[in-house]
Amino acid sequence: MPVVSSRGASGGVAVSVVVIVYNDARRLPDAVRSVLEQSLRSVEVVIVDDASTDGSARVAERFAASHPDRVRVVRLPENSGGCGRPRNVGLEHARGDHVMFLDSDDTLDRHACRTLLAAAEETGADLVSGRCVRVFTDTGEERAWYPGQYRRSAVYESVLDNPDLLYDTLSTNKCYRRDFIERAGLRFVEGLHYEDLLWSAQAYLAARRIAVVPHRVYNWAVVRRGPNLSITNRRADLRNFADRLAVHRAVDEEFLWHGAAGLKRRKDAKFLNHDLILYLRELRSRDAEYRREFLDLAREYLAELGPAAFEEGRPIPAIAGLMVLCGDYDAALAAADYRPRKGVRPTLSTDLVERDGRVYWCDRHLDGAFARRVLDVTDLGVHSAPFRSFKLGGRVTSVTRRGSEVRVAGDAVNPLGRIAPDRLTGRLEFRDRQRKGRAFSVPAAVSTDGRRIRWEASFHPGRVIRPIGLVDQTFGLWLVLSADGRNVTVRLTSSDVGYEEPGLAVRPRLTRVAGDFMEFYVPESGELALRTVARGAIARATLPLARRIAASGGGARIWRAVTRRERAVLAALRSRRTKIAVYNALLRRLPIRRGTVVFESHLGAQYSDNPKYVYEELRRRKTGHRAVWSYRGAAKGFPADAELVRRGSWAYYHALARAEFWVDNQGFPAGLVKRPETTYLQTWHGSAYKRMGLDEPRTKAGTRARRERMRAMVERYDHFLIRSEHDRRTLVRGLGVTADLLPTGYPRNDPLVNGGDPGELDALRRRLGLPAGRTVVLYAPTFRADEKGRPERRFEIPFDLGRFVRELGGTHVLLVRAHYLSAVVVPPGLGHAVVDVGEVHDVTPLLLLSDVLVTDYSSLMFDYALLDRPMVFHTPDADAYVSRRGAYFDLAEVAPGPVVTGEDELFDALREARSGPDRHAGRRRRFAERFGEYDTGSAAKAVVDAIFAGGPRG
Amino acid sequence: MGEHRDVFVVCNNVEELGGLQRWAHQIGRLLAERGHRVRLVGVTHADHPHDYGRDTPYEISVLYERPPAPRWRPRTALDRLDAAAWTRMAVRRAGMRRAAGRLTEIFRTAGPGAVVIAAQVWAMEWVALADTRGMTVVGMSHESYAATRASSRYERVKRYFSGADAFLALTREDADAWAVAGMPAAAAMPNPLHVHPARTASLDERVVVWLGRMSYEKGLDLLLEAWARVAPRYPGWRLRLYGSGSEEPGIRALASELGVDGGVEFAGPTHDLERALTGGSVFALSSREEGFPMSVMEAMAYGLPVVAFDCAPGVRELVAHEAAGLLVPPGDTAGFAGALTRLMEDDELRRRLGGAARESVRRFSPDAVVDRWERLFALLDR
Repeated sequence: MPVVSSRGASGGVAVSVVVIVYNDARRLPDAVRSVLEQSLRSVEVVIVDDASTDGSARVAERFAASHPDRVRVVRLPENSGGCGRPRNVGLEHARGDHVMFLDSDDTLDRHACRTLLAAAEETGADLVSGRCVRVFTDTGEERAWYPGQYRRSAVYESVLDNPDLLYDTLSTNKCYRRDFIERAGLRFVEGLHYEDLLWSAQAYLAARRIAVVPHRVYNWAVVRRGPNLSITNRRADLRNFADRLAVHRAVDEEFLWHGAAGLKRRKDAKFLNHDLILYLRELRSRDAEYRREFLDLAREYLAELGPAAFEEGRPIPAIAGLMVLCGDYDAALAAADYRPRKGVRPTLSTDLVERDGRVYWCDRHLDGAFARRVLDVTDLGVHSAPFRSFKLGGRVTSVTRRGSEVRVAGDAVNPLGRIAPDRLTGRLEFRDRQRKGRAFSVPAAVSTDGRRIRWEASFHPGRVIRPIGLVDQTFGLWLVLSADGRNVTVRLTSSDVGYEEPGLAVRPRLTRVAGDFMEFYVPESGELALRTVARGAIARATLPLARRIAASGGGARIWRAVTRRERAVLAALRSRRTKIAVYNALLRRLPIRRGTVVFESHLGAQYSDNPKYVYEELRRRKTGHRAVWSYRGAAKGFPADAELVRRGSWAYYHALARAEFWVDNQGFPAGLVKRPETTYLQTWHGSAYKRMGLDEPRTKAGTRARRERMRAMVERYDHFLIRSEHDRRTLVRGLGVTADLLPTGYPRNDPLVNGGDPGELDALRRRLGLPAGRTVVLYAPTFRADEKGRPERRFEIPFDLGRFVRELGGTHVLLVRAHYLSAVVVPPGLGHAVVDVGEVHDVTPLLLLSDVLVTDYSSLMFDYALLDRPMVFHTPDADAYVSRRGAYFDLAEVAPGPVVTGEDELFDALREARSGPDRHAGRRRRFAERFGEYDTGSAAKAVVDAIFAGGPRG
Repeated sequence: MGEHRDVFVVCNNVEELGGLQRWAHQIGRLLAERGHRVRLVGVTHADHPHDYGRDTPYEISVLYERPPAPRWRPRTALDRLDAAAWTRMAVRRAGMRRAAGRLTEIFRTAGPGAVVIAAQVWAMEWVALADTRGMTVVGMSHESYAATRASSRYERVKRYFSGADAFLALTREDADAWAVAGMPAAAAMPNPLHVHPARTASLDERVVVWLGRMSYEKGLDLLLEAWARVAPRYPGWRLRLYGSGSEEPGIRALASELGVDGGVEFAGPTHDLERALTGGSVFALSSREEGFPMSVMEAMAYGLPVVAFDCAPGVRELVAHEAAGLLVPPGDTAGFAGALTRLMEDDELRRRLGGAARESVRRFSPDAVVDRWERLFALLDR
C-alpha cells in the first residue's frame, strides 16, 4: 500500500462509518471489512455493540486490536432494543468530517465512501444519497431500492425541489456532513422501530443542499425466511405496526412545524400507497384477533389523515384506506389483491357494480359524494380490460368428504357479468408453490348466474395429488376457467368457514416417510394452499427427521439447482430465438405442403383486413387451397373452417416453414428465411400519412444493422399491393420494397365500393344495438408512440364522452374503435350513445355501418374516402405527432373534411354532418381519386387471379 | 496539488493517427508540463505510424514487436477440435504473460502515488495481468455509453474495468449510465481542447462546414438530405465537406442524385484546421453516434455556431441548445434543415451563438481539464 499522503481537507478523517451490532457475530466481520476495504482510505469505523450476548463484542474488539488507528468499539451497558440508541452513541464518538451508518448484516460497496464524499465536496451538499440494493440472501437476487430516483446525478437546494426524495426513508445509504448533523441537532428517536423514517424526514427538511448519485453504495441483506427475520421484515408483529404509526405521527408534526403541508400530504399518500398496502397483502394469512387489532390501529390513524390524503393516493390504495376506515374488511382486502407486489398479476376479487354509467369498487358506501369519488374505478378500465391482464378472485367455501372422495366447492367473482354461462368449463389445479409449471388438476363443474361464478370438484386426493415429498411440500389451489375459448385464472382464497380439518390424505412418492396428509393453510401471499404434514404414526416419527436432512444437506441445494436448470432449459426451448433457429436450420428443409396458405392480420391480433378478404375470395371460388390462420391470444372470431395456429407456437413455425403461400399485412417474424418455393403476398394495411420505414427519423438515426434487419424482412416479399401512385412514392420507397407491385387496390375495400353483405351488416347492427334514425359516428384514432417508437398502451380519448352523450346523445351514436396496438376505456352504460367496438375484428363493416368518420391520423381516412361520406379530423396534438413521426403531406391542406382541434368545433362538425350543407364533397372526391385510384371493387378477384389462379399445384 | 507523480497511459497503440492517440499524446504533454513523469505505453505498434514528433516530454514504450494473434473462441463443437487454434491461443496466452511482465517492469520504475491510466479496454487486458500493487488504476471509455452498450465491448468493459480504482466516462450523463449498469467507480472526465485559435471565424462566409471521417456513423447522407431542402432557397450558400472515408463514393453519388452536387464541395482531408473552420459560418454535425466530438469543440473554439443531431450526452454537454448552437432530434432531417436555415438567415443569431460557443468551450481548456485530473489523483490518494 502506498503511504497515505493526505487525510482530507481538514487533515483528519474524511468519513466515519457507524456500524451497529446486536447478537450478529457471524455477519459483523463482513460489514466491518466492507468499510476497511473502502477505496477511500481516510475512513474510520465506530462499532457500537448494543450489549450483545453472543460473540459480537469479541469480534469487534479483535478488529479494534488489529486496526487500532481505524476501528473503535463502544459497548452499551444494556440492550436498547432498537437501532436509534446505538446510532446516537456512535454519532457522539464519530470524528470524521462526514458520517455514514451501516448495520451489521449489510455491507458498503467498495467505492461507497469515495463516491459520496466526492459528490459532497463537489456540490457542497449537507446530505448525499446513493443507490441502495436489496440482496435476497436465499437466492442472491438483487433489487434496487427506489431505482427511479437513482438514475442520474442531481443536486437539490431543498427537499421541496424534489419531494419524491422522501420516498427513500433509509438512513443508511446516505452520507451526512457531521457539522450539519450537529447544526441541525439531528438524533435518532429511541425506543421505537422505524426510527429511520423520522430521522430521514428531519434530515431532508434541515439539509441546505441535497445531492443524489446513481452509484450503488449500500447492500441491504434481506432474509426472507428462517427464524432470524430482521425488524423491517417482521411485519407479523403488531407492535411493529403501532411503532410505524407513532413514527408517522411524529413525522407529521415535523412537516407541520416546518410549514410543509404539501410534503405531509405526499407522505400520507405514501402511507396509503406503500405502507398500508404492504400490511393488507399479508392480512389473509393472519388470525382473526390480529386482523381485528390491526384494523383498529389502522382505522384510528387513517381517521387523522383527512380527505386530501385519499385524493393524493393512487386510486386502488386510496380505496384500501377508505375501506379500512369504513370497517369494510372485504373491500379493503380486495383492493390489496388488486395491487400485489411487483411482477405479480393483480387479482380482481371484488364485485364491481355499475351505477349511472360509472363503475364502482363495490355496492356499499356509495351514498356520500366523497366515497363515491374514491370508489369510482371507471377510468381504470377494469370493466373492459382483457382477462389476461388480471386474475379473478374466488373462494373455497366448503370441503366435504364421502369415503375417500373429497368435494371442494366455492365461488368466484364475475365482473359485471362479463363471463357468459355458455361454453363455460373449469378445472381445479394444485400448483407446486416452489416450482412453476408443476401442477395436478381435476375437472370442476362451473356455472354462473351472471353475478357470481359457482364451482365444485370431486376427486380422490390420494390419486390426484402425488407430490414427490420433501422437495414439494406446499401446493396452491387455483381454478382455471375456460370461457368462450379464453382461459381465465382464478386465485382461490379461504373464506374462513373452518373446513380446514382434517386435510387430505396423500401418498408422496418418497413414501410416508415424507408425510401422509396435506392440510389447508394460508401463506403470506394470501391464497389458499396445502402443506404436507404427518398424521399417522410412521410419518410422525420420520417426517421431522427427513425434513431436517433434506433442508440441511445438499438435498435442498441440489433440488434448487435441478429446478433452476429445468426452468432454463424449458425457457430456452420456448424462446423465439430457439424456434427461429430450428425453423431456419431444420423446419424449412421439410417438404412443402402444396396449396397451403398461412394468413395473418396485424400480427395475429385479428381476423380482418386484406388477408381476410383474400381468404374469403379463395373460399368463395373453392380453389382447394388449405388455409391456416395465425392468431394471438384467443382464437375467438377466427374462421372455424381454417386450421388455427397460435402465433409464436411450434405449430406456427411449422406451418410457415411448409406453406406454399404466406399472406399477411404487417410482417411475419424477423429472422425467418423465406424458402424460394414459398410465395409471399404482403398486402400491407393502409396508405401512409405518417412517414414509414427509411423515411422515419428513428430509422434514419438508427444503426446500419437496424436497416439491414428491415431490408431482410422486406426482401422476403414477392408481391405487394398498392392502391395509388401515392403508395408507390411513399410506402414502396420508405419500406424499400423490391417485390412485384400489384396495382389492384385493397381487397378489404371491395365492399366499400360495392356495398357490403347486407345480412352481415344487419347482424352487426343488431349485435351492437344500433338504433335506427341516429347518425352513426365512428371514432377511430390511431396509436401514439413514445420516443423509442413503442406504442403507448393506453389511449386517452381527447374529448368528453359525457358531453357527447348530453349534447348529441339524442341524435348521434358514437362507435369507439381503438387502434389494435392501444386500448381505450369507455365507461359502460352511456346508454346506446357510446359503444366500444374494439372487440370487433374487422373494421370494414364498421366503416359501412357509419355515417361519419372521426379520426386523427389513421390510414382509415384513405379507405373511408371511397364511401364518399363526411369525415372530421380531430387532431389536438397535430404538431407533436408530426414532429415526432413526420408526415408525407400537410393534412390541413389536403384533408377531405374539417380539421379541428377543440371539442366545440368537433361537436359542431358532427351536427353539421347530420343536417348541415355538404361543403366538402369536392375535396372528398379529389382525395379519393388521389389516394384510392386503383380501388375499383375487384381487388380480391384480381389478387386471387394473379397469385392463386389455377388452384393448388402438385 | 503540486505533487509530482508517475503517470502511465496505456493504449492499444500510441502511434496511429486517430482521435484516441491524439488525446494520449496531448494529455501526456499536458501532465508532463505540470511536472509529472509520464510514459505512454502502446500494446502494439501501428500499421501506419503517424509522426507525433521526436522530442516528446514523455517516454514511449511498446509491449509487442509483432501483434499478438486475435482472440479465438470455439463456436461449435467441431471448432473445439481445432488443435491449431488451441495452440495459437496457448502461444497467445504465453505471449500475453510475457508482455504483461514487460509492463510490470515498466511500472516498477514508479515512485509512490503512481497512476496507471488504461485508456482502452483491450489495453486493460494487459494491465490486469501486470503487477499494479501500490498503484492506482484508472480505466477509461472514450465513447458514449450507448455506443459501448450496442457493441461487444460492453461485457469486456464491465469485466476488465470493474476492478479499477476509477472508471472514467466522457460526460457525467455517461458516467451515470455506467453507474446504473453496475460500475460503482464510474466518474466523468472530458477530453481537453487542443487548439488555440489565433483568430476566429468572421461568420461572413456563406459556407456551412462539415469535417470528419466519411462513414455511416457520421451521417453525411442525412446532412445531404437536409441540405437538399435548404439549397434551392439559398443558392449563395455552399456546403463544404472536409475529410474522406469508405462512404465517399456513396456520398458523392447521393449528392448528384439529390441534385445538390453543385453547391456541395468535397474539399478532401485537411491539416489546416484554422483555414477550414474560419472559412465557414455554421458547423454541421450530422452524426448518428458520437462520444465527445473533438470537431465540435474545435469549431466552437473558432467561434462557429453548431447545428447537431442530439445523438449523445457528449454533444449535449458541449452544445447547449439555443445557447451555443441548435440541437435537432436524431434523424429529423427536416428539423436539421430548419436549424441550418435559421442560422443562415440570421446574422445576429449566428454571431450570438458563435460568441457563446467560444466562451462555453473554455470549460474544456487544457488547464481546466488537467486541474480536474490532478483533483482526481488527489481524491484517489485519500
